[in-house]
Amino acid sequence: MGVVILLVMAAGVAAMLTRKLPTAFALVLLAVVIAFLADAPLTGKGSVLDTVLQEGAPALAATMIAILLGSWLGKLLEETGIAGTLVRKIVEFGGDRPVFVALGVLAVSAVVGTVTGSAPAAMLAGLIGIPAMIAVGIPKVTAAGTVLMGIAVGVPFELPVWQFFSTALDLPVDTVRGFMVKLFPFALVAAVAYVLVESRRRGVEHTWSLKSVRARPARGDRRRRLGDAPWYALLTPAVPLTLALGLDVAIIPSLLGGVLYALVTTTRPREMNRRLLRTLYGGFEVAAPPITLFVAIGILLAAVKLPGAVDALQPLVKSVSPQNTVLFILVFTLLVPLCLFRGPLNVFGLGAGIAGVLVATGIYPAVAVLGMTASYNQVFGVSDPTSTQTVWSAQYAGVSPHQVMLRTLPYVWAVAFGGLCVTAFTEL
Amino acid sequence: MSGDLDVDLAVRLLGGTPTHENRDPVLLRHWAVAATEFGRRMTPRAETVRVVERDGGLDAGLLARYRSRPPVVEVYTDTVERAERLVAERGWRHWFPEGSVRAAALAHEQAHAWLHHTAVRAEFKRALGHTALRFGRRRLYAYVAGADEVAAHAYAHAACGLGRSPLLLTEALAAAVSWESEN
Ligand SMILES: [Zn+2]
Repeated sequence: MGVVILLVMAAGVAAMLTRKLPTAFALVLLAVVIAFLADAPLTGKGSVLDTVLQEGAPALAATMIAILLGSWLGKLLEETGIAGTLVRKIVEFGGDRPVFVALGVLAVSAVVGTVTGSAPAAMLAGLIGIPAMIAVGIPKVTAAGTVLMGIAVGVPFELPVWQFFSTALDLPVDTVRGFMVKLFPFALVAAVAYVLVESRRRGVEHTWSLKSVRARPARGDRRRRLGDAPWYALLTPAVPLTLALGLDVAIIPSLLGGVLYALVTTTRPREMNRRLLRTLYGGFEVAAPPITLFVAIGILLAAVKLPGAVDALQPLVKSVSPQNTVLFILVFTLLVPLCLFRGPLNVFGLGAGIAGVLVATGIYPAVAVLGMTASYNQVFGVSDPTSTQTVWSAQYAGVSPHQVMLRTLPYVWAVAFGGLCVTAFTEL
Repeated sequence: MSGDLDVDLAVRLLGGTPTHENRDPVLLRHWAVAATEFGRRMTPRAETVRVVERDGGLDAGLLARYRSRPPVVEVYTDTVERAERLVAERGWRHWFPEGSVRAAALAHEQAHAWLHHTAVRAEFKRALGHTALRFGRRRLYAYVAGADEVAAHAYAHAACGLGRSPLLLTEALAAAVSWESEN
């Protein structure tokens, strides 16, 4: 039966790869089929309807709220001009030296990435950051990659991601944080290396472009009237991080602290209510795709954790999972490309199910699975040419997502290797 | 479009450059004038840069490109040809003589290369006069995004003895190309 379940998973990957089904729908369908194959009853304890669908759907509720709050904060950073002001200051101070601008946008992307990951972060940092980099002479592929690598620097400290790993792998937030702090230096070194090496290799480029004179679509009319955000408001992205990392405050109140700080540093009291509601509702829109995905992942996790599924999969997975430290590093480093193109190791897809299987069958300690999936997440977040942030950044810079993947993959592959080494040597 | 003054075109270019979303139009105009003046009076050293002729500029929306590593200027021949035809269609020959588009492209990219020299940069920033930071009487000049582009066009304008700024040609070309691709 285990083999049949694996075949069904493969069919699910095929459906996602060929875009026959949106990822979230494919995952729910997979979950239901797996549950039936695992001999789950229709209702009652360990059943398709009650356990998988009813209990699975809200299983990642805390993550969904964290995502929503992150998106809310992202909307506030946008509407109050905080993100734009950060980029503008960097260009004013360092525009002469393109490398400096790229490093600055990298830093802004990292900071924004800790608040709200993926596509919203890419837009927040990239909307001004990418054209600003291109204007000072950074080649387009390098510019798109810089924003993505920057977000990946922030991802180890992205609070919604902590919440996700904590719930999905049933680990305390402290443990997740402990590993992420070790993963962060790899992401940071790789990102800085990317900017320095690529700038050296590609130099600068300037074009006589027909697009330079085309009027940009008017954006942020409200911001236009407001002007720069005050300097102390620029500290907003650091607020949730300081609360969660420095003061041990829980994730949701930390994010709420950031929302509050952004609000009081930028908004007159009589406008506060309207701004809060407007940005919150805007945040819902931004958060809709990831929340949909987390409903589906919760359902899939519930299915692969059913006793029938665990019994069927355990012997199979055990026979192919390397237990030796060196082999573990080697095999999982080689498997890195499988998290791209909606592949089976994509953590925000079937990869979550596979992680669930590995934990439920007890083949690796949950902390080791955390290390593995978090390492893959660093690759996926930057290089996957089908993920929304990569597609958006590449297209906004005027290049193809594949070009960005080819240029960034060596760097993030090294990050994954580093993360897997840490995992193997500390947790196996 | 041809009724617009060259400085209006430069102001429009700066206004469309990111980081200038909320700038005062008076300030943008001041920068446009200063950058144009600076570009007009620039005297770039004649460097031996390889020139490569390429195709596919209309698809990419490019007329020319300068790359520093290794130093090379790429001229997109299809865009240059389209620009020459446009000049004839519009009756702008007295402003842009035969063959002047390619010459302007080379001059434009030469100006970009020149604007990367540290001393030139510093002088350019002083000419624009935008302050990033002030300590008492000393001040740190800020970089103005898009000003390079205005200066490069102004240099090409002056160096090639054109009747109007190449910005006029760029706008007309952008409009013609997008009209053609939509119809
Ligand atoms: Zn130029």
